[in-house]
Amino acid sequence: MKKIRLLVLSSCLGLLANAQNNFMLYSFKGNVTILEQAVESKARVGKIMNNSAMVKIAAGGLVTLVCNEAAMFTISKPGTYPLHKFADSCKVNHSSFTSNYIKYIWSQMTKSSGSPGSNRKAYMNTVGAVSRGINNIWIDPRLDTVNYSGGAFPLSWKSYTEANEFVFYLYPAGNRNTVVYMATVSKLKIPISGFAAKMTAGESYEWIAAIKGEENEERKVLNYVSKETFNSLLETIKNQGAPFEAPAEQAYRTGFMLEDAHYLAEAYEYYSKATLLDPANALYRSTLMSFKKDYEIK
Amino acid sequence: MKKPLHQHIGHHARRVGRHVTKYLYKRDTLFSTVWVFVFIIVLGSIPVNFYFLNPLKLALKDFDFHDMAHAKLHVYEDRFDRRITIVNIGMADREQLAALIDKTAEMKPRVMGLDVLLEGPKDPYKDSVLAATVSRCANLVLASRLEWKDEKDPYKENFFRTPGTGEGYANMLAEDIATVRLWAPFFENEKDSHAKPYKSFASSILEKYDSTAFKRLVKRNKETETINYSRRQDRYYQLEGESILAGLENDSLIRDRIILFGYIGADESDILDKKFTPMNKKYYGKSIPDMNGVAVHANMLSMALDNHFIRKMPGWFNWLLAILIGWIHMAIFIKYYIDHHIWFHLVAKIAQLLSAIFFVYLDIWLYEKYRVKLDMKMTLIVIVMAVDVIYFYEAWATWMHRRFKYRTVFGHHGTGH
Repeated sequence: MKKIRLLVLSSCLGLLANAQNNFMLYSFKGNVTILEQAVESKARVGKIMNNSAMVKIAAGGLVTLVCNEAAMFTISKPGTYPLHKFADSCKVNHSSFTSNYIKYIWSQMTKSSGSPGSNRKAYMNTVGAVSRGINNIWIDPRLDTVNYSGGAFPLSWKSYTEANEFVFYLYPAGNRNTVVYMATVSKLKIPISGFAAKMTAGESYEWIAAIKGEENEERKVLNYVSKETFNSLLETIKNQGAPFEAPAEQAYRTGFMLEDAHYLAEAYEYYSKATLLDPANALYRSTLMSFKKDYEIK
Repeated sequence: MKKPLHQHIGHHARRVGRHVTKYLYKRDTLFSTVWVFVFIIVLGSIPVNFYFLNPLKLALKDFDFHDMAHAKLHVYEDRFDRRITIVNIGMADREQLAALIDKTAEMKPRVMGLDVLLEGPKDPYKDSVLAATVSRCANLVLASRLEWKDEKDPYKENFFRTPGTGEGYANMLAEDIATVRLWAPFFENEKDSHAKPYKSFASSILEKYDSTAFKRLVKRNKETETINYSRRQDRYYQLEGESILAGLENDSLIRDRIILFGYIGADESDILDKKFTPMNKKYYGKSIPDMNGVAVHANMLSMALDNHFIRKMPGWFNWLLAILIGWIHMAIFIKYYIDHHIWFHLVAKIAQLLSAIFFVYLDIWLYEKYRVKLDMKMTLIVIVMAVDVIYFYEAWATWMHRRFKYRTVFGHHGTGH
């Protein structure tokens, strides 16, 4: 009996020990310091801290932490924060995988096994026609998600009808009650740099473009990525090159990989760079021209 | 002395015949076949889907053997359909659509179908321009939509509908993001049982273009028709709306034809209003949709005009075929199970494979030659299940023998006969 108790106790202690949250400093901006065991040190990306550490953020600074390799959160207000206070932000639902699997099993097992031939009403949802109804704005699916850290790049759209004015709205992701930025424009595009100051690095936003006086429910995502995060990605991309890569080749490859990663402004910069470095290369030129045409860059 | 060839063949044919018939009329063969169907019916009656754990079934969920005929075996026409021309409306708005219809109407098409949903008012000026155009064109058919989720008002009529204008719902009969194989030419008006049924977009165009073909369609009285896709999108003449507006097109592809105004994307990656059809070159697994909705309507029209409807064999015939083929297979399997057990599994697998190849071929051949659609799914399931049911049947027959002195050929375990 004693052995069983000892086993239960040690298991509980083990669980408690596991309950200790681990934080990794993912990115930071401005003056951020870490206080660990009464020793203060400058913030460093990739630093691992436990519950007992404290993060000090000076005015204008912000820090993004990753907890338990799962949850990510950003602190943007100045102050001193003991990390044990962020236990809530660290919660990872260990049962989510199982519960999701069970939910999936349940939904699939109980799914109706009808067919279009036997239940026509249930299978008439696909319409073989385009609409010229309420929404007059078409946004290229490639702009569904744009990652942006800086540079010149427009968000563009097309209009099915002639209109003189369009309204652009920017909201925080998942919150349509707060408008971060609103502008009325006459062109079918708006440069991100024009409202970048309204955004906070590390935050996600949603944008809508509509003809003035009309509504458009279609939202697109704009992630304003911090310079640090982008530079880290850029470094990774650059390091993936061949040992004897010419600067123009590297710039072209970087542009291609950045475009693939939805960093369109940055991709444009690197495509331009490749063309400048090797103006005779027809591939670089045509790619840049297509890119400019696709994204309405003049 | 060597036997002549015909005697050799005759000898082997008799041998095979004996293999098949030795146990064919035994009650074990009949009862084990019955058991196969009992299992199929019982398993099929469980209101639970198990297929989601089977990656093969998931991958083939939207698969039909006949897709192979369209996609790979060239069961389609290479000729253009000279009766139908598709006009790409591109991004045209209501005013531009009005101009396009007016310009096209000047070239005397027989019927025009505007495959565009126009629900509710928009810009007053542009709406009035389009309304005037619609009222002038008696040979124009507009697109509407059936929305069955809205129980109060499921029929979403076109905003520009007039008493003289044709109209039809543009809905396709298919699961979401799945291959469009079926067409519901008409749909009963559930709100008013005395009212005429709703017509589909293609049915309405057909009515205006060829009343004989339309009456034939009505007379068939089918809730659903399997679309006999005869042409890929590029086998219909296509004109750009902008070219017509610019006066760059003559009337050779318009006069006396069906003109379908619809959206055709600039390239393959533009999947706006694109559907998966059996004509898709990649007919299984992940692919991109291959045909714009307007071309699907065109295929429906081609089928109805040519009277090339697909005839589906009745359900009882499919069941009868499955019973017959299942019975013969069971006789062969039992023969090998009892007389040549060592070869049983090998023969069973080979028989299953050869049967699958042959019956799929037969199915596609009938489809291609006579546009007859057999449902061989049941037959193939019976062949696959027969092998497993033999084991069950042996145990059942042995138990029945012990308990009720049931006479069975499964006596090699010492309890039969």
